[in-house]
Amino acid sequence: MNTFTALIKREILDGMNGYIRVPAILAALSVFLVIVSTIGFGATIEFDGVFDRHPEVSNLGEAVEMAANSNKGEHELPAAVTLSYWVMGGISWVALPFVIFFSLLSSLYEERRDRSILFWKSMPVADWQEVLAKLVTPVLVAPLVFLGVAVAAQLLIAFFLSIVVLFQGGPVLEMWPLATMLGTWAVFVTQYAVSTLWVLPLLAWVLFVSSYASRLPFMWAVLPPAVIAAVEGILFETTRFLEWFGVHLGGWQAYAYHDLNPDIDGPRDFLNLVFGGVQMEGLTYTLSSGQFWLGLVIAGGFVYGAIEMRKRAI
Amino acid sequence: MTDYVIEAKGLSKRFGDFQALNGVDFKVPLGRILGVIGANGAGKTTMLNAVLGLSSYDGELSVLGLDPSKDRDALMQDVCFIADVATLPKWMKVVEVLDYVEAVHPRFNRAKAMDFLSRTKVPLDRKVRALSKGMTVQVHLAVVMSIDAKLLVLDEPTLGLDIIFRKQFYQSLLEEYFDEERTVIITTHQVEEVEHILSDVMFIQDGNIVLESDMDELTQQFIEVMVSPGKEEEAMKLGPIAKGSTFGKSTCVYKNIDRETLAKLGETRRLGLADIFVATMTGEA
Repeated sequence: MNTFTALIKREILDGMNGYIRVPAILAALSVFLVIVSTIGFGATIEFDGVFDRHPEVSNLGEAVEMAANSNKGEHELPAAVTLSYWVMGGISWVALPFVIFFSLLSSLYEERRDRSILFWKSMPVADWQEVLAKLVTPVLVAPLVFLGVAVAAQLLIAFFLSIVVLFQGGPVLEMWPLATMLGTWAVFVTQYAVSTLWVLPLLAWVLFVSSYASRLPFMWAVLPPAVIAAVEGILFETTRFLEWFGVHLGGWQAYAYHDLNPDIDGPRDFLNLVFGGVQMEGLTYTLSSGQFWLGLVIAGGFVYGAIEMRKRAI
Repeated sequence: MTDYVIEAKGLSKRFGDFQALNGVDFKVPLGRILGVIGANGAGKTTMLNAVLGLSSYDGELSVLGLDPSKDRDALMQDVCFIADVATLPKWMKVVEVLDYVEAVHPRFNRAKAMDFLSRTKVPLDRKVRALSKGMTVQVHLAVVMSIDAKLLVLDEPTLGLDIIFRKQFYQSLLEEYFDEERTVIITTHQVEEVEHILSDVMFIQDGNIVLESDMDELTQQFIEVMVSPGKEEEAMKLGPIAKGSTFGKSTCVYKNIDRETLAKLGETRRLGLADIFVATMTGEA
């Protein structure tokens, strides 16, 4: 286990820019944008005719106070605040798909290109451990780092807005619906885990490409699927491959959730759906889907192929 | 447990039409410094890659009792190698290289590595990319010499380094690393620089081992004579394996002919390893 931890640590060091710097910069940017749009443009501090129905509300503090005291707002406020933090910190996430894709693409390619593979292979570390570390770091560790950074951004935004509300004499505690926030972070983890298992055959394909491409790994990763889709389209005039691809990329959710009651009235309904329905429906659909299990088998094949290529690579 | 570090029988490797290694047999005992010498493409690296578990092969091969093609990771507990200059990961800081090796290698002695490095000018917090070629080799050597291994393989470890680094490299290898419990295998083009530290030598040509010998024995076998004027005919009768001329005098190289006989023909001298290599490759073929 010590060896595997060291491998993960090495991968993070190698991909420091993508794994640490990029999410940190993006999160800082999201906090900065919130601060600037609050202070700089003054819109949050002084509502001027924004709420036609409530002319007495002139700033964020008063708006929160009014919501907290209203009948409906009392129930909706924690969900609304939590969701707005997700939206305000949203920029933190934009780089994650790119980080995962390009980390996988370069993982087994760069070490051959710069010959450092000869150093790695002089250490008592099995090839399967190396390949697994190169799969696990971008696919599991990177999202957790991104989540940690996004959580930090949400907390900073909450902290900053609390100060604003405090100065405006509003109810500061309403800005900290911690239980709800914690719930959404946990849901992210489970939802991400399920989505990742779905997309694993595609990710494993990229890892495999990285293990054999002697040059231009990007082309190797992108062209074969494109060619398969094109050939299928020309010969059979169908789009099955693309559909299969789309389902694994996230399209499965459309099938998983199509029975859900879309009657969402307010942020609380939405979060309730996310906490309860989506989780259960998603899991049930996933575990009973043949395509899901076949995808895992394909992913296993690609990972096995990458390990075999790593054994032979110099 | 075997007495030999490496035992190979019928070791072969083919790349398409090219027979890189042609069913060679050899054994390397413990406590030796073996020089593997051959021209480019002779099969040195192919042979060493097989020994190190870096490539597949045909035939039988046992390194410290293990099959390198199957057990590379287990083998690397007791085997170290520097396969080329500049294989250290360039994006790592020197100290991170040490951290990594310490975490994955149970036989690595960090204090020892720090001691080696403290005698160099290598800055520990610098990235490998920012080090000179010589410094990179110093770091790699510090790592390798701090691993308590039974077999160390150095494939062209000093290629492209200046002469001062090369001298220091081999000196510290001999003085601070090598002992009776270890075997070192070196390949290099700069034969003159290693011949004084070698205990054994192996010549490879076109995928075959053409000579395998103890170093002392070998240098006694080969004698070069600067033939005195008028003795040329006599010299030719003894069957020199190579002929040449220096300063207008003809020179002949003999193998396994005793020194006293040859001394009558003219001035004699022992051949250096490089000359023996050239004489063997060009003369007997």
